[in-house]
Amino acid sequence: MPDSDNESGGPSNAGEYASAREQDRFLPIANVSRIMKRALPANAKISKDAKETVQECVSEFISFITGEASDKCQREKRKTINGDDLLWAMTTLGFEDYIDPLKLYLHKFRELEGEKAIGAAGSGGGGAASSGGSGSGSGSHHHQDASRNNGGYGMYGGGGGMIMMMGQPMYGSPPASSAGYAQPPPPHHHHHQMVMGGKGAYGHGGGGGGGPSPSSGYGRQDRL
Amino acid sequence: MDNQQLPYAGQPAAAGAGAPVPGVPGAGGPPAVPHHHLLQQQQAQLQAFWAYQRQEAERASASDFKNHQLPLARIKKIMKADEDVRMISAEAPVLFAKACELFILELTIRSWLHAEENKRRTLQRNDVAAAIARTDVFDFLVDIVPREEAKEEPGSALGFAAGGPAGAVGAAGPAAGLPYYYPPMGQPAPMMPAWHVPAWDPAWQQGAAPDVDQGAAGSFSEEGQQGFAGHGGAAASFPPAPPSSE
Repeated sequence: MPDSDNESGGPSNAGEYASAREQDRFLPIANVSRIMKRALPANAKISKDAKETVQECVSEFISFITGEASDKCQREKRKTINGDDLLWAMTTLGFEDYIDPLKLYLHKFRELEGEKAIGAAGSGGGGAASSGGSGSGSGSHHHQDASRNNGGYGMYGGGGGMIMMMGQPMYGSPPASSAGYAQPPPPHHHHHQMVMGGKGAYGHGGGGGGGPSPSSGYGRQDRL
Repeated sequence: MDNQQLPYAGQPAAAGAGAPVPGVPGAGGPPAVPHHHLLQQQQAQLQAFWAYQRQEAERASASDFKNHQLPLARIKKIMKADEDVRMISAEAPVLFAKACELFILELTIRSWLHAEENKRRTLQRNDVAAAIARTDVFDFLVDIVPREEAKEEPGSALGFAAGGPAGAVGAAGPAAGLPYYYPPMGQPAPMMPAWHVPAWDPAWQQGAAPDVDQGAAGSFSEEGQQGFAGHGGAAASFPPAPPSSE
């Protein structure tokens, strides 16, 4: 059970922390920068100072929420902080906007954890996405070649994107989802949409309902 | 079904974002317009952002949980820095990985507003400081803001007050031009703020060399421009938006 894992992990982590470098107090600046870029226009630049400041803010955010959740666990005489404790803490501390997406996310996580088969399939998809991401330039080139062979699908994805961009998410979701389900090969799907640019990307977003599509979605994110 | 409900929920948000549009043209006060307009723009962006995040969360998959945007081990280490924290369930760092992503995105969006007010294209530390100062939920971060930035804050405010009208004009200028070349995309772009479009920047940068990548680069470049145009276009499109949408 998680408790045992955490028990063994606790001392180890404590040790690691004691000897940890200054850098370990923050999340990697490359990851933080990548996420920041997604929030800005294409021609925007980010100074190193800004990246470092946000890096510090994120660690403070984690400590802030964790502290509140930990206090709650102690009051209730529980030893393990779980996802619901974190959600409660965020609500208490004013981050109401975060709760809806995070509840959905947590629900999905628990679903997948509870079903080995789906987990295995997802793992495979994850592998493909990861490979594509780590492949860097060569990976990108290879997958784009593949996407050329799957042009028809890409066009469909693009169409979905246009629909979504016109402010009709309800209409856009179902067909895109079906398309995602009907098209098993994640690498082709994911990369062609990247070639299609913003439209394709958004169209794919609409199709996230299918199993393979989410993998592609991850691939897209990974390239950010 | 949940899938249908979420998109539907997203629409009202979009509609809400659209609602402020009619009001903007009516605003006649030169000094008030720029600030009010920018705030409206920010609110619209944030509303669209949260609606989008709800949709994204619904689409999360096993691969998303296997490959996080942020390293779980590091998150766990930061959580453990608090001596009172004893045991952490497996789902806690996973949830935090997503929460931190949302936090970074929101903080960056709010910081960018300040950079725009000062007519800069580079996000700086004092933009982050300004976003923190202006947002109640970020009060816990005030100690992270260096005193220098705190002093600079009043200056920034003055700078904004002085440059407001000019900034508005500047914003309107290019915005007015860009949407002209992409009329069909002019409307949706503002509703799909920059936080989505720039996602393709890394792909474009990586793919500069090969022919296929050049095509991709071209596609991204255009999309990037649209993204920016859309962002600025929100300003320009406020006046024309009502008739064209109706």
